[in-house]
Amino acid sequence: MRRLLPVMLGLGAPLAIAAAPADPSIRNFVACPVVRDTASVPCWLSEHDGELYFLTLQADVSAPVNPPWLGHKVLVEGRIKPGAARICGGVVLEPVRLSIIAEPDAACHTQLPAEERYNLTFEPPRPPGPSGGRLAFNTLPMPVKPVDVKREVKQYSLPYDFDGLINFKHPFQLTPILDMANAMKVSRVEIIGHRGAALLSDGSVMPEQADRAKRRAEQVAELLQGAGLTAPKYDVHWIDAAPAPSGIDDHTQRRVDITLRP
Amino acid sequence: MTSRPIRHALAAVLLLPTLLVGAENGETLDAKAMAVPAPKRVPHWIFPDTTGGLAASGTYANELGQIGIVLAEGAVKDAKSHPFFQALGPNGRACVTCHQPQDAMSVSLDSIRWIWRVTGGKDPLFAAVDGKNCPHLPQGEPTSHSLLLNRGLIRVFLPWPPKGNDGKPVDPEFTLEVVRDPTGCNTHPQYGLSSSNPTVSVYRRPRPAANTKFTTHENFGVLPFIGKNGLPASRDPDTGRASSMNLMADARAPSLRAQAADAAAGHMEVKKPLTKAQLDAIVAFESQVYMAQASDRHAGSLTEEGGPSGLGPQAMLKGEAGVLGNNTTRWVFPMENKWKSLPRTGDATQDARHAARESIQRGHDNFMFRTFWIRDSMHLNSVGLGNPTKRTCATCHGMHLTGMDTADGWMDIGSTNLPWAKEEPLNPWNPNKPELPLFKVTCKDRVPPHPFLGRVIYTQDPGRALITGRCNDVGTIVMQQLRGLAARQPYFSNGSAQTLREVVDFYDRRYNIGYTEQEKQDLVNFLGVL
Ligand code: HEC
Ligand code: HEC
Repeated sequence: MRRLLPVMLGLGAPLAIAAAPADPSIRNFVACPVVRDTASVPCWLSEHDGELYFLTLQADVSAPVNPPWLGHKVLVEGRIKPGAARICGGVVLEPVRLSIIAEPDAACHTQLPAEERYNLTFEPPRPPGPSGGRLAFNTLPMPVKPVDVKREVKQYSLPYDFDGLINFKHPFQLTPILDMANAMKVSRVEIIGHRGAALLSDGSVMPEQADRAKRRAEQVAELLQGAGLTAPKYDVHWIDAAPAPSGIDDHTQRRVDITLRP
Repeated sequence: MTSRPIRHALAAVLLLPTLLVGAENGETLDAKAMAVPAPKRVPHWIFPDTTGGLAASGTYANELGQIGIVLAEGAVKDAKSHPFFQALGPNGRACVTCHQPQDAMSVSLDSIRWIWRVTGGKDPLFAAVDGKNCPHLPQGEPTSHSLLLNRGLIRVFLPWPPKGNDGKPVDPEFTLEVVRDPTGCNTHPQYGLSSSNPTVSVYRRPRPAANTKFTTHENFGVLPFIGKNGLPASRDPDTGRASSMNLMADARAPSLRAQAADAAAGHMEVKKPLTKAQLDAIVAFESQVYMAQASDRHAGSLTEEGGPSGLGPQAMLKGEAGVLGNNTTRWVFPMENKWKSLPRTGDATQDARHAARESIQRGHDNFMFRTFWIRDSMHLNSVGLGNPTKRTCATCHGMHLTGMDTADGWMDIGSTNLPWAKEEPLNPWNPNKPELPLFKVTCKDRVPPHPFLGRVIYTQDPGRALITGRCNDVGTIVMQQLRGLAARQPYFSNGSAQTLREVVDFYDRRYNIGYTEQEKQDLVNFLGVL
């Protein structure tokens, strides 16, 4: 396992000041989340610069955006959805990415009661209790084992939350990789860990923890080996330097690239 | 179904009256320190190496009605030659000692008290290894066995730090300190954490060895990676396939076979590993025992033609394993609204029965649809639902027909973690002392603090964290199947709820639900018929 030479300029001090994101509809900030009850499912909101933003609804594991946690701040990386009516009083951010800040923050405890005027004007993808028989978004069908696969180079990329390591969403991405590697009887698994930074709306830069690229790469190798993929040779690398963030698609830097070689 | 106790049990039953009479006259068998409360009924206790067998189907009385047991492969004709029923080791215990058909293949506190009384505390159930608060305590004194006699708990002793799958010690993410050691075991020079063989003792209920196709399925949610945190799932050592990780309070047993081998070496102190034939017979037996409550003292038969399809042992036998039921297509415990509104005829008996059935249906609807805010519960709030999340009992208890999590079913509801775990109130007026150990867990600096509990956690049983060494797993307990509850009091892995009402009260307190009295009664009635 080794560290790759930094190919890009490393970010030194945390919260270096750069220019704010070029796109004026971008809202990137760290704040307490707020949960508001409704007559059906709760809404998740957050306040930034005197404005309330709608982040997401409570749905289920399959949702593309999962709600944050009270008791923790959240990094919001979103874009105002043009022309969208407010939901639960908040300006709608969509797309939006939410990364829960690991360190607890007791100040984040705002839970608001339901109010008539904030009732949802649409059917939520999933009620607050039993579903109608399927997951809300069905984006996560149980992986199907590959059969008769071509033995060729295959590439994958695992996305991460800000500062995040493996979490509850990754089994659905790791399982197809593992199944493919087994079906192909790969000889080599190449893993490259990356780390990013976020450019916030106030112009500050928030880099991920210094060891993220390494820990992500090593963890993926451990997981695949732990799941029984021990035959192939592993090349585990990481790039410690975080590329300068643009505020627009910073999440793409938080990833691990995996290459399976026959 | 007919009740057919096996012969040896009958002999014991005949013995009982004299002993109980003696006890009632104040001449307790254990007069010294602690009185063992009189059992409420005489169980159909099956002794190891008993002559006789086990009927292909049977019902056994409990406080709320009768439990139904069905053996899909037919009767066990000769228990004496069946390894599940044989005393395979030197301490005289069999698997059946702690997994009694009468008690939904677990063992109830009432039965434990009964067998204590009829044997004067000499039954192998009370063996020093784990039928006692700690092996060094004087054998046969009720106080030495108080956790078993008061809460139905067996000592579970595990190496600390834990060993990984490769047999090497895991480097835990936290330090473990003993804050309170009422059993003396965790600080004991031979059995404790500082012994030459560092061991941690926690105290847990036996879990039902039945309906195992559900507890070991390879269906929904079973992936090579754990759905709670993405880490590799344990694999069945025999097949190499991912386990559903739903066995034992801490999911340490990857398969029934591994579990049985471990139980023999541990509980039964068997010195040589069980033979392949013995393991085959045990696993084959467990794999075809189905159980569920079959009748209710107020609601009558739970297995009537045309009744709710999710009740009774046949529902378990016929049911599909490993299916998500937290939905309105499969349901967790299908009742088809059969008992929604039943006529009143003026016949008092029938009207009472109908009222009881309607209460059960309401309890079911409450379990499925009554929302409350689930908060700070690790491995539920942390898996994409948000914290808090407005959901229902069925959110966590979602597996069709068992009400377990479909896979990897460990979560922290506060049953063992403070501040929610049941603790003895300490004050000058309460003579009772805490019975369970208390540990202080401090998450090391190299990991983030536990997201809901912080860096320091006090717990009666670190649960899954004793296997993984992970801070986020502290106090997470694999839920048991919600079947045969009526036959196997007390509840929760640490036996902290003596009755179903106490379970419901726990949740009411834990999640600030605000149930009405009616809601509580309905839920209790519903849980009692599962
Ligand atoms: C002294 C009592 C005792 C004996 C004897 C005993 N068990 Fe258990 N059994 C337990 C306890 C306690 C647990 C739960 C342990 C835990 O949660 O850590 C358990 C759990 C189990 C489970 C897991 C059920 C589930 O759904 O999680 C199975 C299966 C089981 N035992 C089978 C057996 C078999 C087979 C034998 C005989 C080889 C046996 N037991 C002997 C006490 C006993
Ligand atoms: C956050 C998830 C969660 C929710 C919500 C939840 N449970 Fe549980 N339940 C668990 C876990 C985990 C356990 C195992 C705890 C233990 O043994 O210490 C459990 C245990 C139980 C048990 C004891 C089973 C036994 O065999 O001892 C019962 C009964 C039960 N729950 C009923 C309910 C009811 C009724 C509700 C709704 C009020 C409910 N649960 C809500 C997770 C949950």
